This record gives sequence, C-alpha cells and structure tokens, in this order.
Amino acid sequence: MKRSVLIYQSIALITLAVAFILFWSFSKGTPFVESGLTFDETAADSYSVLQENLYRMVPILLGSIFFSIAIAFYLEEWLAETSWIYGIIAQQITILASIPSLLYGLLGLYFFVLQSEKGSFFTHALTFVLLVMPITIQSTQKAIRGVDISVREAAFALGANRWRVVVDHVFPNAFPTIVAGICTAISRVLAITALIIIVYIWKEHTLQSGDTFNIPSSVIVLLSFALLSSVISSFLEKKTNLT
Amino acid sequence: METSNHSIETQNLSLWYGDFQALIDVSVNIPAGKITSLIGPSGCGKTTLLRCFNRVNERYGNVTTKGEIKILGKNIYDPDVSLLELRKTVGMVFQRPNPLPISVYDNILFGLRIHSPFGSLTRSQSDEIVEEALTSVFLWDDLKDKLKTRATSLQLEQQQKLCIARLLPLKPQIILMDEPCSALDAKGTLAVEELMSVLAGTYTFLIVTHNMAQARRVSSECIYMFLGELIEHRETQALFETPEHPKTADYVQMRYG
Ligand SMILES: Nc1ncnc2c1ncn2[C@@H]1O[C@H](COP(=O)(O)OP(=O)(O)OP(=O)(O)O)[C@@H](O)[C@H]1O
Ligand SMILES: [Mg+2]
Repeated sequence: MKRSVLIYQSIALITLAVAFILFWSFSKGTPFVESGLTFDETAADSYSVLQENLYRMVPILLGSIFFSIAIAFYLEEWLAETSWIYGIIAQQITILASIPSLLYGLLGLYFFVLQSEKGSFFTHALTFVLLVMPITIQSTQKAIRGVDISVREAAFALGANRWRVVVDHVFPNAFPTIVAGICTAISRVLAITALIIIVYIWKEHTLQSGDTFNIPSSVIVLLSFALLSSVISSFLEKKTNLT
Repeated sequence: METSNHSIETQNLSLWYGDFQALIDVSVNIPAGKITSLIGPSGCGKTTLLRCFNRVNERYGNVTTKGEIKILGKNIYDPDVSLLELRKTVGMVFQRPNPLPISVYDNILFGLRIHSPFGSLTRSQSDEIVEEALTSVFLWDDLKDKLKTRATSLQLEQQQKLCIARLLPLKPQIILMDEPCSALDAKGTLAVEELMSVLAGTYTFLIVTHNMAQARRVSSECIYMFLGELIEHRETQALFETPEHPKTADYVQMRYG
C-alpha cells in the first residue's frame, strides 16, 4: 500500500513538473516546444553565459552537498527516534530521489539553455538542489544506517553521548559510503550538464553551419569526470560492503 | 559503609518492550569480585537483563522498566545518577568484538577522553595508561609495535581483549559481558577466559554465555533464566550437578544429555 502511494505521488510530481516546463515555455513564447531550439544571442556570448552559470553552480553544488549531509544526520540521528514527522520527510525524499534524472535534465536544459540570460540564479540553484539533494540525503541516510550498531553500542557503553558518537564514530565510518553517494550525485549532475552542453552546441552548430566542432572537448571532459566519479562511487561501495 | 558484598542488586525488576514483557520480577544479587554467569535458552532475556545494568536499554524508545536496580548500593534510576558515571563504573563487552574503527592506542583512550576534561591527559600519561591497560590483558607484547594500527584489523581474539582493555583505564567496578567468546575460536576463548579469571577479584564479572562448559569453567555463581524469569541462582557447581528446579535440570541435561 505504501509503495503504491509512493508511485502515485512520484507520477503526480513528474506530471506537475513537466506541465510546469511546458506551460512556462508556451507562456513565455520560448520556441522550445514549437520549432526546435533557436537563440537570439550570438554564439560566443551565450556560450560564455552558459559557462558562467555553470561555474556559479560549483558553490551551490558544494552547499547542497553540505546541507544534504547535515539534513541526513539530523533525520537519522535525532528525528528518527523521536518524531513521526520522520516518516513523512523520509518518504518525500525517496520520491524526489527516484524521479528520473532525465526530468531534471529537461529542467536544467530549460533553465540553462533556453533561459540562459533570463534565468535567475535562484532557478538555476533550484535545479541543482533538486537534482543533488535528494540523492545525497538518501545515500547519506543509508550510509548512516549502515554503520554497524556495534560501533554505536561500544561508544555509548563507554559513556559517549549522542553528539560524540556521531562526530567520533558514525561520521568517520559512514564517510566512504557518503562519498560514494556524493560521487553518484555528481556524476548525475555532470552527465546532465554534458547533455545540456551537447544540446547547446548542436543548436549553435545548426545556427552557424560553417563551424568546426571544437567545443565537445568540454563535453568529453565532463563525461569522463562523470564516468570517473561513478567508478569511484562503485569502488567505494564495493570496499565498504566488504568490511 | 556497610554495603553488602553485592555489586548489583535488583528487586522485582520487570521490563517491557512495548507490550512484550521481557523480564518478569527478576530479583537477583550479584556478588562482588566474582564471576557470575547467566545462562538460558535463546530469547529468555539474558541480554536484556545485562543491558539494564548500564542503562543502554533506554536507547530503544519503547522500553518501560519497573522495579529497582542498585549498583554498588546506589539506585541507578535515581534522578541524580549520571549516565556518564554509571557507564564508567559498569563496563560492557559485546558478543562480537567491537573495537572502534580507530587505532589501538585511541581505542584504549577513548573512554578516558570522554570522562576527562579536554587536554587534561598528557602524552606521557596517555602512553602509560595504554601500556598498563594492554599489559593487563596480555596484549602489550603483541601490540606494542602496532599501537597505531586500526583496531579492527587485529585478530578477533586480540580485538576482544582490546575491548576489555579499553574499559580498564576507566577503573570500572563491574564488567558485563554478553557472549564474549562466541565469535572466537577455542584458543581465543580459553585466552579470554583466562583473562577473566585473572581480572576477577579486581572486577565483578557478569557474563552471558550459551556455552555451559564455559559457565562451569569460569563462573563461581550461575543464574538460569527462562522466558524472562529468573529460575535458579546458585553456586555454579551446585546448579549444574544438583539443579533444584526441574526447568533448570531440563536445560542443563538437554545440553549434556
Ligand atoms: N529492542 C527490542 N525490542 C523488542 N523486543 C526485544 C528487543 N530486544 C529483545 N527483545 C525481545 O526480548 C526477548 C529477550 O531478548 P534478549 O535479547 O534479552 O534474549 P537473550 O536471552 O539475550 O537471547 P539470546 O540468547 O538469543 O541472545 C526476546 O523475545 C526478544 O525478541
Ligand atoms: Mg543475547
């Protein structure tokens, strides 16, 4: 029963988000839906705008990772035992985390490529926050739950309080798994960024049909980083599963 | 102080996990400076009883306790009892060796660091404490060159001894052990048993075990529990050879039958 609620909720959310994108596109007259991708800015300009936006995302990315970890610890270590709200929040996070990243990619595409000038810092941040936080929170939660109960017991039995147990033991022990989760999230972000750039370049290319295709190097770099971080993540996961 | 020579005394101790009563009117006195073993079939409440004595049961939200527990003559549910002090006095060793995943050195000092103000331990004091603790559990020779290795990478036997050693700097009065040898091989088991026998006298041991041979070997008194009730508590020898209660007889003979 709980599962079906989850599925319906995610479907509703996805539908809402898609509807939102479509509606926005139409209402602003963006030709996203109507006639493929066209742009008014000159190629050089908008590319640098895009890049600038992406650079601005780095602090947001770091910020959302930090907050995700903090939220996960708060949820697992403090809220879980004391409050019924925990269940609801955990459920919402699961839903957000299970939305296919393609949808986020669409969102990102919209905000970054089609709205690259108009799109505010806020909307960009939102995309990344939505993309990164649920998976990071969820994987951190799993990492925290994965810390062997015996470690906690040992520390509690020696007189440590909750704070001490978390800082001295749960965090260091969950750390590799947390990093693995972050790597997954980052590879998701990078892959989607690469997607955005590809679409962007493709659009540029059709605009100026004499150009050679020399920008894809950045795509390759992004994709290889994405690959690298998912390799790191699976390596870490394997390693933590063994011990 | 005219305290009896009992380290732990309980009066009509009952404990519920939600609706389920796991301990039923347990009244028991554990003698000081001796090894007492706690036996009984799986699920009879041995671990639960043990965990009452350093109040780690409370960490589960749905636990209700009734009755009285006195440790060294002091009711541990009195409002002025500090959990910190209680857990310093009552150490615990777990079924699976659970050294903290930090260095051997830091494992030994972890408890002490919690209980002493920050920065109050000098380096040489720390070194001395670590050496002393490891020496008392016969690990010093093996580990003196490995103080910086991660404790979780030691052999299981060493890990379990280390778990005992890390209690000692806190100068506990009572050491609770929940099936301390079940993860060890025969050699490790004997080593830990020997260690207990050496340390008994200085410390009061209460040990849960499924291994009746072990209970006979190490303990001077033995408690038999069944479905949350204390059935029989006597000298180990007597309990095994002339059990008074038919349930005890069943259990003891089933295993030896
Ligand atoms: N946290 C808990 N919540 C609910 N019930 C519990 C909890 N811990 C133990 N119990 C129940 O209480 C009873 C006693 O458990 P306990 O762990 O004390 O038994 P035990 O004698 O130590 O068993 P074993 O020999 O298997 O270790 C069991 O029926 C168990 O299912
Ligand atoms: Mg048990």
